[in-house]
Amino acid sequence: MMRFIRPRLRKPLLRGIALLGIAGAWVIGSHTWEPAIVIAVVAVGQTVYRYTWAGEDTDESALLGSRADERQKQVGLRARALSGSVAMAAAYIGLVIALAVKRADAWPFAALLAVTGFAYLLGLSSYGSGEPGPEDEVTAGRQARYPVNS
Amino acid sequence: MVVPEEGRGGLRASDADREQAIEVLKAAFVRDRLARAEFEARMGQALASRTYAELAAATDGIPGRLTADEPPGMPAHVRNQRTQREMSQGELAEALGVSRQTVISIESGRYLPSLPLAFAIARFFDMTVDKMFGPDEEKTGAR
Repeated sequence: MMRFIRPRLRKPLLRGIALLGIAGAWVIGSHTWEPAIVIAVVAVGQTVYRYTWAGEDTDESALLGSRADERQKQVGLRARALSGSVAMAAAYIGLVIALAVKRADAWPFAALLAVTGFAYLLGLSSYGSGEPGPEDEVTAGRQARYPVNS
Repeated sequence: MVVPEEGRGGLRASDADREQAIEVLKAAFVRDRLARAEFEARMGQALASRTYAELAAATDGIPGRLTADEPPGMPAHVRNQRTQREMSQGELAEALGVSRQTVISIESGRYLPSLPLAFAIARFFDMTVDKMFGPDEEKTGAR
C-alpha cells in the first residue's frame, strides 16, 4: 500500500495516523470527544508541517521524506540506536524506582525492558552477527602463527 | 604509537590495548607507511604482546593519532577535482545521487564514503579509487 503513497508523504502520514490512534484510544477509554478532537487536529497539522519540512534541504528532511542517501541513512540508524538505548535505560531506571516505591507499578517498565532487550537480540540475529562461519585454511594458519596467550 | 606510561611498561596489556595498537598498524598500512612484510611482522608482535612495553615496541615509530577513521587526504582530492571542473557541491551531489550535505561531509573529512560510492566518485572524476582516496604521495613520499 505504501508504494501508492508519495515517498515524501509516507513518514508524515504514518506519524499522523499514529496520533489518530491515540485519539481513538482516548475516545474508547474515556468516552469524551474534546481531547480526542484536539489530538486529531494536531495530527493533521503535524502531518502537513512534516510534509512541508520533508521538502527542505537538510539531513532530517531527507530522512523524513524517505529520500536519504547512505550517509543520511547511517545518521538515521545511529539516531534510532541512541533512542533505543535511551528507552532501555529509562525502562531500567523506571523499573528500579517502581520496585523501590510500589512493586505493583513495576510491570510496565519490566515489559518495556524485556521488549527492548528482545529487540536488541532480534537485531543481532537478523543482521547476521555472531554466525560462526567455517574458517578457511589461510585464516586458521594465520591464527596459529600469532597465538595470544593471556 | 602506544606509549607506556611511566612505570606501566611491565604491566599486562588488555585486549582493548592490543586492538588499539592493531588499529594504528592497520591505518599505517592502508596509508602505505608500512610495507606488507613489516605490517605482518608488527601485527604478529602486537597480537602476541603481553605487556605495555611489548605493545609499544610493536607500534614504535608510528604516530598514535593515526586511526582507521582518519581519512588519508581524501577531502582535498574530492574538493580539488570538483573545483577544477567548476562544479558546485549540489551539482556533484546530483551527479552522484547523494545529498549536498553528504558531499560537504566527504569534502570536510567527516564522512568516509562506502566502497560503491567511492567507486562512483572516482569513476565520475575519471580516476582510480587508489588515486582518489589513496595516501597523499607528497606526504608519505612517492614510491
